[in-house]
Amino acid sequence: MKEEFETTDMALFVRTSEESMHGWDRQRIVDALLRETYVDLDTAREIAKEVEDLILTSKIKMITAPLIRELVDTKLIERGLEQARKMHTRLGMPLYDVDQLILHPNKENANVPHGPEATNLTLAERIKKEYALLSVFSEEIADAHMRGDIHLHDLGFIDRPYCGGQSLEYIKRFGLSLPNSIALAKPAKHPEVLLAHMVKFAAALQSHFAGAIGWDAVNIFFAPYLVGMSDRELEQLAQMMIFEFSQQAVARGGQAIFTDLNLYWEIPKHFEKVPAIGPGGEMTGKTYSEYIEEAQRFVWALFDVFKEGDGSGRPFFFPKPLVHITEKFFQTPRHMEFLYHISEVASEKGNTYYVFDRGETAKISECCRLSFKLEQSDFEDAQQPWKMRYCALQNVTLNLPRIAYLAKGDDTKLFSKITEFMELAVKAHLEKKQFIEKLLSLGEKGPLALLAMKRDGTPYLRMDRATFLIGMVGLNELVQIHTGQEMHQSKQAFKFGLKVIAHMKLLVEKLSERHRMRFVLEQTPAESTAYRFAKLDLKYHSPKSGYIVKGDLSRGEVYYTNSTHLNVSAPINPIERVKQEGLFHPLIEAGALTHLWIGEAKPSKESIANFVIKTFRQTQNDQIAFSPEFTTCNACHRTSRGLQAYCSYCGSKEVDGITRITGYFTKLSSWNKGKMGELRNRYRNQAFIETRGGETVLLA
Amino acid sequence: MVEIKGFLETSFIDWKGKLCSVLFLPHCNFRCPYCHNHPLILHPEQYESIPLEAIFNRLHSLRDWIDGICLTGGEPTLHPELPLLALEIKKQGFQVKLDTNGSHPQMLKRLIEERLVDYISMDIKAPLDPFSYRRSAGVSVNIESLWRSIEILKEEKVDYEFRMTVVPELHTMEDLLLLGHQVRPGPRIVLQNFNPENPLDPSLRKTPPFDPLLLKEMEKTLQKMV
Amino acid sequence: MELIKVFTKSKCPKCPPVKEIAQELKKEGLVVFHYDLDTMDGLAEASFRGILSTPSLVIEDEEEKEIASWRGIVPTLQEVKRYISKRGP
Repeated sequence: MKEEFETTDMALFVRTSEESMHGWDRQRIVDALLRETYVDLDTAREIAKEVEDLILTSKIKMITAPLIRELVDTKLIERGLEQARKMHTRLGMPLYDVDQLILHPNKENANVPHGPEATNLTLAERIKKEYALLSVFSEEIADAHMRGDIHLHDLGFIDRPYCGGQSLEYIKRFGLSLPNSIALAKPAKHPEVLLAHMVKFAAALQSHFAGAIGWDAVNIFFAPYLVGMSDRELEQLAQMMIFEFSQQAVARGGQAIFTDLNLYWEIPKHFEKVPAIGPGGEMTGKTYSEYIEEAQRFVWALFDVFKEGDGSGRPFFFPKPLVHITEKFFQTPRHMEFLYHISEVASEKGNTYYVFDRGETAKISECCRLSFKLEQSDFEDAQQPWKMRYCALQNVTLNLPRIAYLAKGDDTKLFSKITEFMELAVKAHLEKKQFIEKLLSLGEKGPLALLAMKRDGTPYLRMDRATFLIGMVGLNELVQIHTGQEMHQSKQAFKFGLKVIAHMKLLVEKLSERHRMRFVLEQTPAESTAYRFAKLDLKYHSPKSGYIVKGDLSRGEVYYTNSTHLNVSAPINPIERVKQEGLFHPLIEAGALTHLWIGEAKPSKESIANFVIKTFRQTQNDQIAFSPEFTTCNACHRTSRGLQAYCSYCGSKEVDGITRITGYFTKLSSWNKGKMGELRNRYRNQAFIETRGGETVLLA
Repeated sequence: MVEIKGFLETSFIDWKGKLCSVLFLPHCNFRCPYCHNHPLILHPEQYESIPLEAIFNRLHSLRDWIDGICLTGGEPTLHPELPLLALEIKKQGFQVKLDTNGSHPQMLKRLIEERLVDYISMDIKAPLDPFSYRRSAGVSVNIESLWRSIEILKEEKVDYEFRMTVVPELHTMEDLLLLGHQVRPGPRIVLQNFNPENPLDPSLRKTPPFDPLLLKEMEKTLQKMV
Repeated sequence: MELIKVFTKSKCPKCPPVKEIAQELKKEGLVVFHYDLDTMDGLAEASFRGILSTPSLVIEDEEEKEIASWRGIVPTLQEVKRYISKRGP
């Protein structure tokens, strides 16, 4: 211990992460320990010496920096220095995993293609995920996530907000001047340029948000640029818009930008009297009401493009068109004609989302299905629409079936466990908020410069308007475990489901008041969460969970029912599905959706429109989408209806199915196992039914 | 009363522009090789009958949504009590659509005259000659009756359509054209592609359906034949 | 016999008159259920009936099928009574 300064003539080289080789130098260990942890100099020196001895006796000739770090860590553990070991952790991946990753596609998110860019994204995500769990979140939250009590979404994007809703008015007024960009573009003078700005801005935003980028009232805000354009020119512009967004698969990690276009046939009340911004960022002196003709022609043209589909007749996966239907829609001339037009697209290609804004509510949709109702302050912002920028900072989902296993049939325990899980979610939100605020505080020189820029005097990301999402997976299974019946099997079971969500709704209100933040319930899209929770519960709550999880156990294709949905395989007719699922929607502020799987069938546009109107008038349902299924041929590149084993044109077996996974269309070959299990089970309203209730028999 | 063997609560596709429920009635006088409801025709006894009352009870909660009820089969016009069934449905305030193969013109006439039906969809299986029809319907068919039904519909006392399922093994494009010349259906004809899943004649399972685009073209051509 | 369901919130200014009507009906021997939308059970029942605003009053038959309802508005006692079948003295 006394010969600290003796020199060791070890003929040993260390491969470092800086792509260089260094001769052995014990002092580097000491330096790292002092820099990264709180251990004292003496301990650091002792550890360095011990590691050196270990290496010496092992007679290794070539050693890597990660190995030395691991050896140092074992010494920290031997001394009980747990905190120091944590701080000294190295983040990274085993060789085998990287090898697998580069060779095989990622199935967690079907929107990620497989390629070098995608691999980069996944590698980066892995490290950031570890970083988040180790350093951003407390141990309590990280553990709850790992156990699967809750799911923290998009941990690989820990240094960004979750999703955002944008206004075209911002780029119309301020042009495209992005921090870190070498060139500044003045406000657009021509529609094509405005579109180019929109697409570039979207790409920039994609690299600052984890998820979807939604655009409000796109056809209305484009309208002042479209005056005097011919049908042909409009068609061209519509085509450009859709192809640009559908082919942005060259952006971040080879991922298409998850884009929502919010569209209107009418000029909604909150934009009626708003002064319009036109070419060059100038006020045109008119209001948006005066541009209704251009807005309508443009939205019509957009749907013409959706109807055609892509070059081989497939539906466009992105952008997603969300048509808002308000009371005023029905007083606007030619609304039925338009409704038939978009319903034809719904039947042929499935793209159309119908968003119902009943009464005085107006809604903005940000992420695949996250929308929220405008409040008074938002209506004031609507007078200066460039201010209408919204974001959800994070999304945390509760594993509801887990709560039911833990409660063991005891009501009091069940509801107190829900409260406990909700509080965990809130804590997770506070931790992420603190982290993002730290990044934003670095301003335009920091990593989130784009979100910190202040072109209109306030930072682009308006933290005071941020939403914190609390989602749920498997309400149906919670009810099943707790009451013995699934929600569609009895009125009591269904009402119990409502009670759980009512409890959660009252709780988010209380928590919002307590923390002065907007906590909001949402229907988690749960592309992989429903699978992950089911797998973890099979591990921790077997054998009970074996009877509860949906899907096919033998294939490993297991899942829980998404959010508050009813069992996807239950033969519930579409009317009841929109009615029943819709009863949850008023409680779920951040938007909710009912899927209608129509499979192979191609209903008439008139029948779809008929259903849509009745849904608006007779239910509380917030949003519906019809999902057809397609088979696309990799040999002849043609697309046919239904999921087939071979191409109906050329007979080739090289085919891939296409349908909606959660909030968007993709190819089946990219789906994870849980979603495959769900797909096999989806009830498509085809078979005829003999009796109802528990004893349902399907014929034909 | 007619036995009801199947009940689909909501359909988007059986009645254009409407939301309807579908009632499946057993038995058929045809044996079309491409029929996909054949268990209902060959072995109806394996399905329990559903009491009409149960159906109306069920429809009660859907009444603001369902515009009408489609009677299909099998062949509904085989049942002498069909008018009674239609009347019961009408009494409940629903419209009635009938799917038929047109082999019982007198039943059609009666339903129309007594205003028991709002829409009739008549299946046409092949060009109207005994040989072609036998091939497509699987049995000998009295062509005169079919003509009678077509004439009744063409009097336009009720809304109607002609529907034809096109099967590559059974029909050529020439057949369709011939049929168009015979019936002169105008815009009322709808062509429907054959679905190879579980047809009555299992050998058809290997038949790939027609090219949908070609079929659409053909439909347009036929619709111009007035 | 009809069931009366009343949906209120503690801070809603228009709610007290509906509570009074409910009180009156109760005196006349009707079965009256109160639901407070600030509680879990109340909010769940309101959601099940598609009730989004307070005060609301719903008349149901014995099978809990809706006979009449006033949503977000205050009916008069006479209006409500019109939907209630006459019974013996």
